[in-house]
Amino acid sequence: MSSEPHETAEAPPLTEEIAPGTASDPPVGGDGPATVTVDGTEVSVGADATLIDAIEGVETEESVPALCHYGREDIGPRSECRTCMVETDAHGVVPACSFPAEDGLTVRTDAGAASEARDVNLDLVLSDHNLRCTTCGKNGRCELQDAAIEQEVEEPRYGVLDDRGEYEPLDDTSSFIQIDRNKCILCNRCVDACNDVQVEGVLRMEGSGQDTRIGFQSDVDTMEDSTCVSCGHCATVCPTGSLVEKGIEDATTIPLPGFNQKNSVGTAYESSGKSKGPMTPKKREKRATTDPSPSDDATETGVWDDDGASGGDWP
Amino acid sequence: MTGDGPTVRISATDPERALSETNAAPDGVFVVGSTGAQALEPLVAVTREGRTAFHARCSPERVAELCARADSPEAAQSGGSDAVVDHDPETARLPVPELPGLGAGERTVLGACGWRRPTSVADHEAAGGFGAPGPTAVLEAGESLRGRGWGDLCQDESVADTWEAVRDTDGDAAVVVNGHGTASDALLLASAPFEVLDGAAAVARTVDADRIVVYASDDDEHAVETVREAAETYPEPPAAIDVVTGPAEYRAAEPTMSIEAIEGNHRLEARLRPPGPEEAGLHGRPTLVHTPRTLAHLAVALRRDESPGTRVLTVAGDVAAPVTVELSETATLSEAVDAADLTGDFKAACVGGQFGGVTRETDVTLDPAALADADLGTEGSVRVLADDRCIVEFVGRQARFASEENCGRCVPCREGTTQLAELLRDIYGGDYDRDGIEELIRVMDTSSICAFGVRAGRPTRTAMSAFGSEFEAHADGRCPAGSCIEALEAS
Repeated sequence: MSSEPHETAEAPPLTEEIAPGTASDPPVGGDGPATVTVDGTEVSVGADATLIDAIEGVETEESVPALCHYGREDIGPRSECRTCMVETDAHGVVPACSFPAEDGLTVRTDAGAASEARDVNLDLVLSDHNLRCTTCGKNGRCELQDAAIEQEVEEPRYGVLDDRGEYEPLDDTSSFIQIDRNKCILCNRCVDACNDVQVEGVLRMEGSGQDTRIGFQSDVDTMEDSTCVSCGHCATVCPTGSLVEKGIEDATTIPLPGFNQKNSVGTAYESSGKSKGPMTPKKREKRATTDPSPSDDATETGVWDDDGASGGDWP
Repeated sequence: MTGDGPTVRISATDPERALSETNAAPDGVFVVGSTGAQALEPLVAVTREGRTAFHARCSPERVAELCARADSPEAAQSGGSDAVVDHDPETARLPVPELPGLGAGERTVLGACGWRRPTSVADHEAAGGFGAPGPTAVLEAGESLRGRGWGDLCQDESVADTWEAVRDTDGDAAVVVNGHGTASDALLLASAPFEVLDGAAAVARTVDADRIVVYASDDDEHAVETVREAAETYPEPPAAIDVVTGPAEYRAAEPTMSIEAIEGNHRLEARLRPPGPEEAGLHGRPTLVHTPRTLAHLAVALRRDESPGTRVLTVAGDVAAPVTVELSETATLSEAVDAADLTGDFKAACVGGQFGGVTRETDVTLDPAALADADLGTEGSVRVLADDRCIVEFVGRQARFASEENCGRCVPCREGTTQLAELLRDIYGGDYDRDGIEELIRVMDTSSICAFGVRAGRPTRTAMSAFGSEFEAHADGRCPAGSCIEALEAS
């Protein structure tokens, strides 16, 4: 796969090299302020709102997990999990997180087709998720776990990803962020956080079909070899235990002797030890070659620069 | 273009190959595109004074011989030809011989295919082409024109509403000619590119577009080359015409993925809608995406001042060679099937492309409403399945294809197609959960982002209702067609 940048008409110079691998979605919000009726209750929302904004404002008949929805900053809507499907009078069953809140629209969360779609799609998400909650650092603060409990999922229709032979190795190479793709639901929040908010251009969506995964724009295999600066935004927005900060990856696991996140997955890429700070070697190299006068933005980089002048190696 | 002497036309999907290497086309010999009936190729047509003799499946030597003796008085008479047709000496459309695949239906939209030189401005002009109808006429023609194929933004819908939406949206409009991946569209690009460009130019004028982009698959090299040449020679185009290719993957024909490919994204996935491309498309501009079939129908309708009322479709599968025909909307599927040379007895047809509906009934008419009522597709493609085909195996392969070829964006398609393939595999182990399969397909249909996921379950859904006993037989360990023995033994 090439990593040619995604051309956009008015890309500012800062982002023209960023190639997140995702589609250039149109702006999906409504045209202006709107009043919609959700399960019988009228709700008013501002301009640019989608139906999820209205749904979040009322007590709905049925819960709407909207797993991949984040709704803050420049993140999403990705509208990939389709666990936010609701029925509308004018457009049939639509995804609430990315459907414009049109004035006068009537929305039902308890319509049969929408309810079925949310249930089946949640089970489909679980079908490709390693459900090893007891060894997961996000146990108890996981949005997927919350949704499954809320929806009273007892036995997912399509099972879960429990064939350890199919597991992807943990990426434990970074000193700051661990990646477990077996828990990833491809919500794309981390990619948006990395590219649209932090403008770092490290993470991307790659592959297709069952090979779709979160990868690196620099075409490398591991976090350590990427151009990551360890800002941690990806881990902050991750709804599951797929991206977690190192040091707390076993924080909320249930203490069964001998079992932890790493050996529950089985295989892992380990750190080579060459990464000494939050900036990966490649990132430091890139800074050195592309930034002719680092002193110009010393206020910005000084904190993170780990050359001798700024305090030596990171622990 | 005939003049006094005889005219020899060599028609083939790749005409250069039909000529022997030492024998470039001599004077009076025209290299034209395919007619759509590949089984006849290379097809040589020798025309003199309103009479054309057709010679099918000519070797390069035979081609050379026919060219050499074209001047002899008896050349256009019969001379060992396969068919002879008397016609208007000035005709700009292929005089249709009674040859397999060509005799079916009519050839209005396909009229240029195999007759006019694809990139000859003079030939297209002589056929009444390059007209520049005003927006009123174009919008009126658009009222009764429905988009053709899944690559068309307006599939099965009247195109005029979408044109109006583009006219009403601020910003410079763009017109995408989406010729990706469908045999009949590739045929039009290679054999009648000016018909397609006439349609695109008419639409571009109507919506005041300043850019036309012809988009096709990397694999259709000949079509791309031909349409590129035609685009360069198109007289007074209303907008700049570019030709861009995308990866030879099935999903790359989806309208929003075609836009992603044209924009240069290295990874193709569907865009969210609404708003659709008609409001925010190519680089955010209001954009129309039409297939070559839609645009050629428009061009022909404008020139004739009436809709041709036909459907162009390709019959493939268990046939000697794929054939593209043009049939009346009132014709039935059986006429399409009869146009091809089947390699076995007819068992079923998968109607409507990769994810079409499976049926054994061929008395369905070809208009979109009738096809939709029968849960069949309007893709313009009919895949014939002969009687030794196992339907369960067929839909299992379609499901697996869907699980491997989807863009990976949305859960109902990415995970749904994978689970669908699993549920179909479970049948071989004795577990046929029809309700579960139907539930899954329903959700893929209601909640997928694009038509790929919406339709990926259609082959299974239709096959379960038309061939339910075959599914039950597999669950009992039997394959009625006898082709799944190994798979059944393995489980």
